[in-house]
Amino acid sequence: MKRVGVFVCHCGKNIARTVDVERVAKELGAHPGVAFSQTYVYMCSEPGQALIREKIAEQKLEAVVIAACSPTLHAMTFGRAVEKAGLNRYLMDMANIREHCSWVHADDSAKATAKAAALVKSAVSKLQQGRPLTPIRVPLTRRAVVIGGGIAGIQAALDIANGGHEVYLIEKSPTIGGHMAQLSETFPTLDCSSCILTPKMVEVKQHPNIHLLTYSEVKEVSGAIGNFHVTIERKPRYVLENLCTGCGDCVPVCPVVVHNEFEAGMGSRKAVYIPFPQAVPSVYTLDMDACYNTDKLVVCENCYKACGPKAINYLMEPEIIEIEAGAIVLATGYDLMPIAKIDEYGADAYEDVIDSLQFERMLSASGPTGGVVRRPSDGKIPKEVVFIQCSGSRDPAHGVPYCSRVCCMYTAKHALLYRHSVPGSQAYVFYIDIRSDGKGYEEFVQRAIEDEKILYLRGKVSKVFREGDKLIVWGADTLSGQQVEVAADLVVLAMAIVPNEATKALARKLKVTTDEWGFLSEAHPKLRPVETMTAGVYLAGAAQAPRDIPDTVAQASGTASKVLSLFANEELLHDPQVASVNSELCRGCGYCLAVCAYSAISLEERLVRGHRMQVATVNAALCNGCGTCAATCLSGAIDHLGFTDKQILAQIEQLGEGA
Amino acid sequence: MADRTAIIIAEPASIPYFPGCTLKSHAPHFERSALASAGAVGLELVEMPRWVCCGTVYSMATDDLMHQVAPVRNLARVQAAGSERVVTLCSMCYGTLKQAAALIEREPAKLETINAFLTRDAGEPALEGRVRVMHLLELLAEEPRARALQEAVVRPLTGLRVAPYYGCTLVRPAEASLAGAGENPGLLEEVLAALGAEVVPNPYATECCGSYHTATNPEIVARRAHAIIEGARAQGAEVLAVSCPLCDFNLDRRQAEVRRLYPHFRPMPILYFTELIALALGLEAPAAEGRLVDPRPLLARLALVGAAA
Amino acid sequence: MSGAEHRQPQGAHVAHGAHDAAEWTPNIVAFLCNWCSYAGADLAGTRRLQYPPHVKVIKVMCSGRINPLFVLNALQQGADGVLISGCHPGDCHYQQGNYIARRRITLLRRLLEHIGVDPRRVQMSWVSAAEGQKFAQVIREVTEDIRQVGPMGQFRRAR
Repeated sequence: MKRVGVFVCHCGKNIARTVDVERVAKELGAHPGVAFSQTYVYMCSEPGQALIREKIAEQKLEAVVIAACSPTLHAMTFGRAVEKAGLNRYLMDMANIREHCSWVHADDSAKATAKAAALVKSAVSKLQQGRPLTPIRVPLTRRAVVIGGGIAGIQAALDIANGGHEVYLIEKSPTIGGHMAQLSETFPTLDCSSCILTPKMVEVKQHPNIHLLTYSEVKEVSGAIGNFHVTIERKPRYVLENLCTGCGDCVPVCPVVVHNEFEAGMGSRKAVYIPFPQAVPSVYTLDMDACYNTDKLVVCENCYKACGPKAINYLMEPEIIEIEAGAIVLATGYDLMPIAKIDEYGADAYEDVIDSLQFERMLSASGPTGGVVRRPSDGKIPKEVVFIQCSGSRDPAHGVPYCSRVCCMYTAKHALLYRHSVPGSQAYVFYIDIRSDGKGYEEFVQRAIEDEKILYLRGKVSKVFREGDKLIVWGADTLSGQQVEVAADLVVLAMAIVPNEATKALARKLKVTTDEWGFLSEAHPKLRPVETMTAGVYLAGAAQAPRDIPDTVAQASGTASKVLSLFANEELLHDPQVASVNSELCRGCGYCLAVCAYSAISLEERLVRGHRMQVATVNAALCNGCGTCAATCLSGAIDHLGFTDKQILAQIEQLGEGA
Repeated sequence: MADRTAIIIAEPASIPYFPGCTLKSHAPHFERSALASAGAVGLELVEMPRWVCCGTVYSMATDDLMHQVAPVRNLARVQAAGSERVVTLCSMCYGTLKQAAALIEREPAKLETINAFLTRDAGEPALEGRVRVMHLLELLAEEPRARALQEAVVRPLTGLRVAPYYGCTLVRPAEASLAGAGENPGLLEEVLAALGAEVVPNPYATECCGSYHTATNPEIVARRAHAIIEGARAQGAEVLAVSCPLCDFNLDRRQAEVRRLYPHFRPMPILYFTELIALALGLEAPAAEGRLVDPRPLLARLALVGAAA
Repeated sequence: MSGAEHRQPQGAHVAHGAHDAAEWTPNIVAFLCNWCSYAGADLAGTRRLQYPPHVKVIKVMCSGRINPLFVLNALQQGADGVLISGCHPGDCHYQQGNYIARRRITLLRRLLEHIGVDPRRVQMSWVSAAEGQKFAQVIREVTEDIRQVGPMGQFRRAR
C-alpha cells in the first residue's frame, strides 16, 4: 500500500459550513493506507501548497489526495505543487467535495459529511491502484503547412518563415492573392488593393523559407501535432514553370475563350492564361478542361508553337509530394453566396443584377471594363445604381442568419467610387443597419452619405425585376414610412459571405469540426480563436468567420505566433493518460481499432510467447485518452492509464459501502 | 423552381377534395371547371365528408392554438376517410391547412393538445401521422397527369397571351408554398403552356392583390389591381389567369374602382386557370355571369370559342 | 421529463425482499464524463442548486470508458443504482464515445431485465457543461426512481 496523504480544504466557509471537515480528516486518518490527514483553510493558497510540499517530505508520502473544489480549477496548481516536492503529479488526485457536495447539500450536513468522506476514500482507493506516469515525448517537426494562399495564408506564412522555420504554402488556384487580389481599392483608405498585396506576394515568392506550391491541393493528412504527414497533389499546368518567362505570346494564338474566374464571370480568358498580370508565380497555366486537347490527343499546338522558351508540355502529369510537418494552418477563405439563391432578386436571371465581387472587377482599372462601370446587358454606363446590403445575410429564410461583417463598408466604398466615376449619377443604398466598427470606418461611411450624397434608405428590398431596359427595385424607407420604387440601370447585391467550398472537404480530412454554416470551428469562441480542437491545426482568416483585411492580417499573425510557440518547444510532451496494451493478453481481434476515433491503434505483428501474432499497438502521440478501447476489449488487454480498470473497480468498491 | 422529385408510386386516381366555403358560395365556376378538368386527366376529386371551414389564413395571424383546431379537424377527417392526401383549390384553404400541418409536424406537443381536445371534448377522431395538403396545380404538374393534360387538349389556346397570377397566399410562407418552391413555383406557367397558350412572364405574379382590404378600403385594392394588370399588360398580356376567388374578385370586380381612379384604364378579363383548362379540353367555355369583365370577346377574336377551331 | 434516456419502466421485476422505505436510502454511483457531465455537475454546484446526497461521482474522461462490467460490479458491490452521463449525441469530445456508450448500456439494460434485475437501476443521461439545472434534475429523478425500485438485494458480493 502506498503512504497516502489527505488534505481536506475548508475553502473558507464554502466547504466547512456544510461539511464537517475535521471529522472527514479524522475519519480518513484512520483509513487503511492513509499515513497523514489534515485540514487547512485554503489549500490552493501559497501556505496551503507549502503545507503539501512540507508533508510530502516529512511523512514520506507516496500519493496525495486533496479534498477541495473541482479539479477543473486547481488540478494544475496542485500537480505542480506535488511535483516540486518530487512526487509524480499523476499520484495526486482531487476529491470534489465542494461543487459536488457542500454546495449542493447545504441543508443536510450529516449526509454531506458522509458523502464527502466517501468521495475522499474513493480518491484514495484510486491512487492506491495508480502508477506514476511520465509525459510522452513526441517528435516535433518544425515545419508548417499553410493551406490557402489568400491574404490570411500569405501573412501566416510570412510570419512563420520570418520566425526562422520552413513553410509550405499550398494554393489550389494558379496564383496566390485570393479575393483580395480581385479588389480594386480597400476601405477605408481607398488604398489600391494590388499595390498593398503584391509586395507581400512577391515576398512570399522570394522568401528562402517558403516553398510556394500553387495549382496544388492537399489530398491526405495523417498523423498528429508535431508529426503530420501531408500528401499534396500538384496539378499539371502543362507549362514548365522554370522555362516560362511570362511573355504571354501563347495567349493571342489560343482559339478557346472561356469565363475568367478571376473576373468573377464578368470577363473572359483563353485556355492558356495567367489569372492577372501580377500573378505569383508569374507563370502561365493551360486549363486542359477548356483546351481542345485532351491528355491523350493533341489537336491544337498553337501555344506550343508560339512559345519561345518551349515551355508548353501537353503531356505533364500530376505530381505527388509528401511532406512532414509539425503544424498546419487552414486559411482557405470565403466565397459569396450565389445570386441564384434569392428568387426575389431574379435568381441570377437578370444580367444587370450583379454581386459585389463582380462590381469590384468593374471598378478595377485592370478589370474587364477597364475601370468603367457598365451594364453587363448592353455595355451602357448606368446613371442610377441600387446597392442592396444584406442579400442573404441576416436572413434565415433565404440564406444565413449571421452578419457578413464587411458588406456595409464595401458597399459604402462601391457607392462612393461609382459616384466619383460617373458624374451626375445617383446611387441608392438599401440597408438594415450600418456596421462600421473599425478604425476610420464610421467616418468613411459618413463621408459617403454626406459628401457623396448617396441616398441611404433603411429598408429591405422585396423585389427586383426587369421592365423594359430598366430594373425595377421595390423597397421601403422605414424611417419615413414610405414605400420606395427605383427604376435602376444596375443593381449590386452584397451577397452573404459563406465558407469556400473546398473548406468542408478539407475539414473532414483533418477531422476539424465546422459549424452549421461550414465555417471552421475554433477551440473556444472567446479565448482560443486561432486554434482548432485538433492539436496542431490552426485557423486564419475568413475560413473561420467573415472578417475584413486588417482583422484577417492580425489574426493570421496571431496564428503564426501559436505555430512559433509550438516550434519553440525543446520537445513536445503528450499527456500520458493514454491507452496501453498488454500484448500478452491481446488476441488481435481488432475491436479496439474499430472504436478508436483517432486511428491511434493499429495491428502489428509481434512475437508473443513464441507465436507470431497480430497485436494491438497504440500510437501514444495520436491517442486522445478517451478510454473507449479499454471498455471494448474482451480480453482486458488494453487499458486506460490514469483511469485503469483496477482504479475504477477500486473506486466502485469503495463507493459501494453504504449511503 | 418547383421540386417535382416526390413522385408517388401507385397513387390512387381519386383523392379527397376540400372545397372551402368560398368556392361553394362565390366561385362555383372555379369549382365546376376544376372538377371537370381534373376528371379529364384521370383524377377524380371526391368532396371529403364533413368538411368544415378551415378558418382561413387570417386566423393564423395570432398564436392561438385554438385557431389550429379547425384545420387539424379537417385533416383528421381526411385521414378517417382513409386518405393521406387532400387537394384544395382555394389559396386561403391551401395556406391554412398546409401551415397547420407544418406547425404540428414541427411541434408534436401541440398536436397532442389538439388531439386531446378533439377526442376528449369533441368526441372526434385524432390526427395520427401526416396528411399531405396539395393544390390542384401540384397534382397537375405530376406525372402521369402532366402528359395526360397535354394529350387531352383539343382546342389549343393558340395566340392567347396569358399572364399567370398566383397571388400571394400560394407562395408564402415558404413552408406552406406550392411545391415548397417559395417565390417561383413555375407550376401555373407549365400548365398554361401545356394548353398551348402564350405564357407572358409576369413580375407581378406573386404580388398581393390587396386581399381583405377590399372590404374596408377598396381604394387600396384598386391601386394594387391597377399595378398588377398594367404590369401584366406591359409585358404583353391580354388576360390574367388566377387561382383564388378573392384575387378574382379584387382583380375583376374591382376594375370598376380602378376605372374611377384611372380614367384611361382599359378593362382586362380575369379567368380562373381551370376555366382555361376546361376551354382547351373542349369541356366548357367561360361564361359572362359572375364577373365584371366579359372574356368572350377576347376569346371569340382568337377563335377560341364558337365552333372548334 | 428531462431528456435522460431509458426512463420508462419496462415491465420491471421488483427486487426480492421487502424493504423499509423509511430507513433505507438509495446508494447510487454516477459515472460522469469529464468534458460535459462533470462540468455540468460543477455548474449545478456553482449555482448552488440543491439535490439529494445519495449519488457519488466517479469521473471518467468519456462515457465510452464505461465497461458494462463496471455497472454490474457496482450493483454487486453495494450500489442500488448506477447513472452514466455523457455529452449530447453529436457533441462527444472524442467524436463518438457517447454513441458507443449508449449502445452498450441499451444492451446491458435488456440483459438486466432478462436476468431479473429492474432495468431502472441503470440509467443514462446526456448533460452538457452548460446544463447545471438539468444535472440537478437528473439526480433528483434518478434518486426517486431508485427509491421506488428499492434496495438492490440480488447478486450481492460478500464483503
